Amino acid sequence: MTPATLNSTGVQLLDSLEAAGLTGRGGAAFPSAVKLRALTRRRTGVIVNACDGELGAVKDGWVVANHRDDLLRGATIVGRLARGQVSFAAHRGSATEERLRRAGVDTLDVPGRYVSSEESSLINFAEGGLARPMTKRPLYIQGGRDSTGRRIPPTVVLNAETVWRIAQIAEHGPEWFRRYGTAAEPGPRLASVGGYVGRPVVIETQAGVPIGDLLAAAHTRSDAEYVLINGLGGAFAPIVAITSSPWSREGLARFDARLGPGIIEVLDPRRCPLDIVGDLLSYASGESAGQCGPCMFGVPELSALWQQFVRSPSARHRRALEVNLGLLPGRGGCKFPDGVAGVARSALAVFSDHIAEHAAGRCRYAARRSS
Amino acid sequence: MSSGMRAEEIVPLQIDRMACTGHGVCAQILPRNLTLDAHGYPILLDALVDPDDGDTAIRMCPARALYWKGS
Repeated sequence: MTPATLNSTGVQLLDSLEAAGLTGRGGAAFPSAVKLRALTRRRTGVIVNACDGELGAVKDGWVVANHRDDLLRGATIVGRLARGQVSFAAHRGSATEERLRRAGVDTLDVPGRYVSSEESSLINFAEGGLARPMTKRPLYIQGGRDSTGRRIPPTVVLNAETVWRIAQIAEHGPEWFRRYGTAAEPGPRLASVGGYVGRPVVIETQAGVPIGDLLAAAHTRSDAEYVLINGLGGAFAPIVAITSSPWSREGLARFDARLGPGIIEVLDPRRCPLDIVGDLLSYASGESAGQCGPCMFGVPELSALWQQFVRSPSARHRRALEVNLGLLPGRGGCKFPDGVAGVARSALAVFSDHIAEHAAGRCRYAARRSS
Repeated sequence: MSSGMRAEEIVPLQIDRMACTGHGVCAQILPRNLTLDAHGYPILLDALVDPDDGDTAIRMCPARALYWKGS
């Protein structure tokens, strides 16, 4: 249902986006046409998220650096539909923030913390609050009150790559867009590959390509064994098992991973992966916004239980870990604890052989370090 | 909105996790639906709560953290 206030250009654009099958490139993959149709119902503020908030994310900064004019054009298109103010969000002190300021656009300087660039955090920050998530009691695209009763005007957050794609679809049409990717996950999309590689890259790619091609493009070192897909909200996978799999929902489902924000971090094979997970969970403990009890106590507890478990993988320590992991999902105002629990669960599955090694009092990585 | 609600219109109870400060009153009023974790924060076992008990819990929550979905 399209409101009467929308002119024919707006109607045409929404139809194009729907035909193109564009989905949000920030990670949630929500259909963009549905989101944009909703924001035409009332005057809505727009925040273009170029924070690259996930671990290892660099693509939105890449869009700002390399496709600034298309991005600004996309933002103008969305702003016209929303009839509200458009601002851009980037991490404070980042090169991306500097580039946006030089472009003369309204820029939110978001503190560089993990949850600061979560959708409701950005809206909170734009409204003069702290860059921390808000309970989604109302849908902020419609506006409403937060937990403290503060009125939040209708606001929509769109990922920077998504806004760039909107400009491309407006210019080249949905048929052009669908020439890339698969029927289920159409269109060109960016992937970032970094970590234990010769050349960290942002790749202009598409769903369906073999994951090995993405790893090769970054000159992934031949002794690499594992990757982390999509950071703290993602999952681990052994390279040998995924290299010929397609970069797609089906290709990644086996590892409980999704295309998400398109990040592949290659792990350093000279370090024990269980220690790498320990570092991630320790980092996560410090990144809880400390607003919801189950997260502010549960995530540091997970980190401590993980250390205990990998030092001595007994059935008792495993049970304690499982209880904690069972209590993290669905009990926060945002999905941060869900994501962290997912990463830890994935590590338990993918590194199960190595956990058995630890249980037998060995660690082949410790041997590698000393040799 | 819950008063006079018919059974087939039953709305799930929700917890505003950011508002919740772990007083645990809800678990006293709704022992069949809610329990507390080791830190005192509620674990929602069944969100389909008796409407009258749910209203009581919403009214009694010191943090005003309980609400009917959509309200």
